[in-house]
Amino acid sequence: MRYGMVIDLDRCIGCQTCMVSCHIHNSQAPGVWWNRVFTQGGLTHQNAVINSKDEYRMDYLPVSCQMCDKPSCQSVCPTGATYTDENGVVLVDYKRCIGCRFCMTACPYNVRQFNWQDAKKAKKEYGYEYGYPFDVKDGKKEKRLVYTQHRRSGVVEKCTFCIQYTKDNARPACVQACTANARFFGDLDKSNSEASAHMKGKKIVRQLLADKGTKPKVFYVSSKETALKEVKE
Amino acid sequence: MKSGEISLSRRSFLKVCGAAGAVAAVGGVSLTAGRDAVAAKNDDAYKMRTVRTVCSPNCTGACGMKATVVNDAIVTVSPAADYPAPEHNPRGCSKGAAMTNLIYGPDRLKKPMLQKGKPGEDKFEEVTWDEALNYAARELKRIMSQYGPESVGFFIQVAGTGYVHKGALIRLANLNGWSVQGGYDMNGDLPMHAPMTFGVQSEELESYQWPDGRYIMIFGSNILSTRTPDAQFLRQAQDNGAKIVVFDPNYCATAAKADEWFAIKNSTDAAVALGMVKVILEDKIYDADYIKTYTDLPILVRKDNNKRLLAQDVEGLSTPANIPNYRECYVVCDTRYNFIPVNPESLELPLNLLLEGEIPVKLKNGRTVNCKPAFQMLKESVQTYTPQEVEKISGMPAADLTRIAREIAATKPFHLIYGASNYQWYHGDLKGRALALLPVLTGNLGYEGGGMSTLAGQYKVRFPLAAWWVPTEEIDGFKPPGNKAYAFEYMVHGPTETMTCPKLSHGIKAWIMLCGNPFDQHNLNNKLKQQVEDGTLELVINLDFQKTTSSLYSNVLLPGVSWYEKTELTATPLHPYIQLMQQVVKPIGECRPELWIFRELAKRLDPVQEKYFFPYQDAEAAAEEAIKLILEKDPSGIVKGITLDQLRQGPVKMNNNCPGGKKIPFYDQIQLRKPFPPQSYPEAIARTAQFLKSGRIQFYRDEDAFIKVGEQLPVHKPPFEDTVYRLNSKAKTLYPYAYLTRNSIHRIHSTHSNNLVFRELQDDSAKVWMNPEDAEAKGLADGDDVRVFNDQGEVRGALVVDLGLQRGTVVFEQGWWSRYTGGTSYNTLIYPFINPTHEVYFVPQMWSPNTNWNEAVCDVEKVVKK
Repeated sequence: MRYGMVIDLDRCIGCQTCMVSCHIHNSQAPGVWWNRVFTQGGLTHQNAVINSKDEYRMDYLPVSCQMCDKPSCQSVCPTGATYTDENGVVLVDYKRCIGCRFCMTACPYNVRQFNWQDAKKAKKEYGYEYGYPFDVKDGKKEKRLVYTQHRRSGVVEKCTFCIQYTKDNARPACVQACTANARFFGDLDKSNSEASAHMKGKKIVRQLLADKGTKPKVFYVSSKETALKEVKE
Repeated sequence: MKSGEISLSRRSFLKVCGAAGAVAAVGGVSLTAGRDAVAAKNDDAYKMRTVRTVCSPNCTGACGMKATVVNDAIVTVSPAADYPAPEHNPRGCSKGAAMTNLIYGPDRLKKPMLQKGKPGEDKFEEVTWDEALNYAARELKRIMSQYGPESVGFFIQVAGTGYVHKGALIRLANLNGWSVQGGYDMNGDLPMHAPMTFGVQSEELESYQWPDGRYIMIFGSNILSTRTPDAQFLRQAQDNGAKIVVFDPNYCATAAKADEWFAIKNSTDAAVALGMVKVILEDKIYDADYIKTYTDLPILVRKDNNKRLLAQDVEGLSTPANIPNYRECYVVCDTRYNFIPVNPESLELPLNLLLEGEIPVKLKNGRTVNCKPAFQMLKESVQTYTPQEVEKISGMPAADLTRIAREIAATKPFHLIYGASNYQWYHGDLKGRALALLPVLTGNLGYEGGGMSTLAGQYKVRFPLAAWWVPTEEIDGFKPPGNKAYAFEYMVHGPTETMTCPKLSHGIKAWIMLCGNPFDQHNLNNKLKQQVEDGTLELVINLDFQKTTSSLYSNVLLPGVSWYEKTELTATPLHPYIQLMQQVVKPIGECRPELWIFRELAKRLDPVQEKYFFPYQDAEAAAEEAIKLILEKDPSGIVKGITLDQLRQGPVKMNNNCPGGKKIPFYDQIQLRKPFPPQSYPEAIARTAQFLKSGRIQFYRDEDAFIKVGEQLPVHKPPFEDTVYRLNSKAKTLYPYAYLTRNSIHRIHSTHSNNLVFRELQDDSAKVWMNPEDAEAKGLADGDDVRVFNDQGEVRGALVVDLGLQRGTVVFEQGWWSRYTGGTSYNTLIYPFINPTHEVYFVPQMWSPNTNWNEAVCDVEKVVKK
């Protein structure tokens, strides 16, 4: 089993529903976003940009942990807090993490977030507690704490493909919430999984920063050459 | 990946039922439904339950959501994704996902309160329900006896989002003779071309029918940002091979996904439409039989007075018997020069009618007048809209205009989507009337995947609700007097000389706001504030669950509930389902569902009135009784056979008589040849049929108000000339920028303005957009704090330079509360011009003064920090 995600850039409308759903479902404190949706080349989201052919463009790029098969974050982790589970999901054991942030430097995608604050206290600004409230431990290996509602300060956190849901065979919150049906999740080893099936026949199937050799399991697909195209300065 | 069934042990399953018992009694609890059902393991399971309900703010998306509850608090919401037709799944958006911030956040009202400070001050005293309601009832009674019951005004926002609780206020108003201000009037976003042309409030294809179209034109609607749950149907249309062409001055998210985008200049859409009409008429690529059958274009118009020729005036003709008094009998001429009276109750006319030419007609009074079919007049009036001239006016390239006109005439079904950005101008009605010609001349209206959809102000209800809204039964000698109607625009900017709305002798003295924030959201908010300050409004009651800007100008705050805390019925225009809102959690604090609040108020106004609100039932049970009443007493058949029990299981598709089950606007008229217009609920047909006296689609209007301004047929009139430049002749030089307000992906109007999640995503500041060249010319840079101002007022925000913005335009995002924009509302810059053609008939929410939200100009300067 190799869990992966496919994001269809033709379908993405930049609404940020996945981003907000991820934030709430995973009880991220203010300032912490595991999943972000950008406008490629735009400083402000949904601003127009002009590409090298002098055409107006507004293409989006949702970015969260790329769930690499060769995760550079994992290889630099001095405590083994970052590891890959049997489904190919890169996780952080919040008990083992010492907050050294080597992983953040190693990750080329800038998706790891350092929990610099007392999360529970920070969320009090919101006035209530939100998100999945129970701990999730990876029982197959020595009871690693891979999800907890309020991560302690000084740990690094990131997308888990919603381990709290996928453990029950449900899909990650971002995939469930995507009203544009632009996100697909499933076993990349099976050709009929939703993720694999959606890559078939697509003109463009790309991984982010493929030249880094990280072998991400998040794939961006499009039928247009303009997807992930360089924009004019 | 296949989803697994959730396995719960019998022990934990019983615990789930126990924990959820209170809710299970009134609503469905589902832990096992759906592919994405999740159970926490072992002991966690009984602490967690999931309830299916409806997220129903004023986007009218009415998205089915499942809320997960732990310890009686909602922790997450996700799309329910349980619509029987899979193409609807999932529905939802970012605001819905972050809704808990409004339910539990810092601005949530939790107790009744009375204002103890000056208007606008946040000085409230928490009181008991008894104190609040007694105060409200005592003051209402005083005002009713002093000024008459009609001096109590009220509005409800978007009735379609909640038939029962919003209906409860209408019911109470009907028991007391109060004055209603409907949502369309209140918000001024009634698309006036719709009553003028089609005799309806508004009509549209449900979004799942967009993929049936093969050519989709979008004018002034940024669907991808403002109708998130429906946006994927545009993509599905493209997948099916449809071409999407967007006309928008600015490069918006929807333009980015379109096959073609035309950056036409602000408010020049009518010129573009009429240029295409000219091409279609000259190339003779119109559907002549369709035009003769369904429109007023073959009807003769008198050259001497610009009025339609009446059969009763023509020698040898008489008016058929049994024509209702809201209709007229006009005359057409066939190719043998026989004059034929047009029966307005029938769409059966011979097809050998003249569309062109000038014909002398002998009248009964002995005179002869020359007449022309309206079609001939249209042909003459569009002569000036040559492709070159249209290019000059609008910036649309002449060759493209001709090409697109030919493409739409050659492609069926062709569907035109028309949004509020387009019609919320002083001459917005002219644009809609001009654009309506395109799908009608080409014979697309009334067929699957074709026609014209107006996407704004989706306040309309889907079927008649009189059984609940309009009590008529006499109880203990009490006879409900019914309500009055008074347009909001007149309350703060009237009366006018040309109004047909009955005047109120004392105006509105008490005002009840239900689920609205007009003290930010209306262009008359400064006048409203003034009316509170100077005592014109003696009592303001606000029922909401957030403490908004409008709360601060209210005397009494009655804390209502969000859509996760009550039982309610919803059915809105863009999808075909009627749904049950189920109580997910008990009301927060001392909040109460609206039906309960209005019942308590009714009791205090007159004890007998309580009997109209299911007095012996708790709020949820009473709401269920109202739902049963609404479903059982529907005279239209639209919800026939649908029961409350069925709705507890999930969404149910409403009935219609179209083959294939897709509700097609004007199906009865086009395919069954029933006269126009179809009924617009809740008005009786007689009230709206008077708009179309011919019983046909009317492009020609011969009321004096139209003749006076030369608008018998749609024409292009430039923005600002008849409005802001007339108000201040120097405005053109003083304020060189058009001031547009647009919706954001981060708010639903002003709802979620205070949501901390979205404030963070926007760097906690309102934004002002300008083209980089304009910004540079003003010496402004991205991120600058700027002041946007005109004669009416000012607003502040942070500048964003955007290459996609048209030059000469400043865009401000609508919905920000004034506490985030320098203390004044972005709407203060907008002057409430009333167009006399909008006053010809007064039928609330159907033909009523319209607000021109975009008819404003401004200047911009940098805020210099002291």
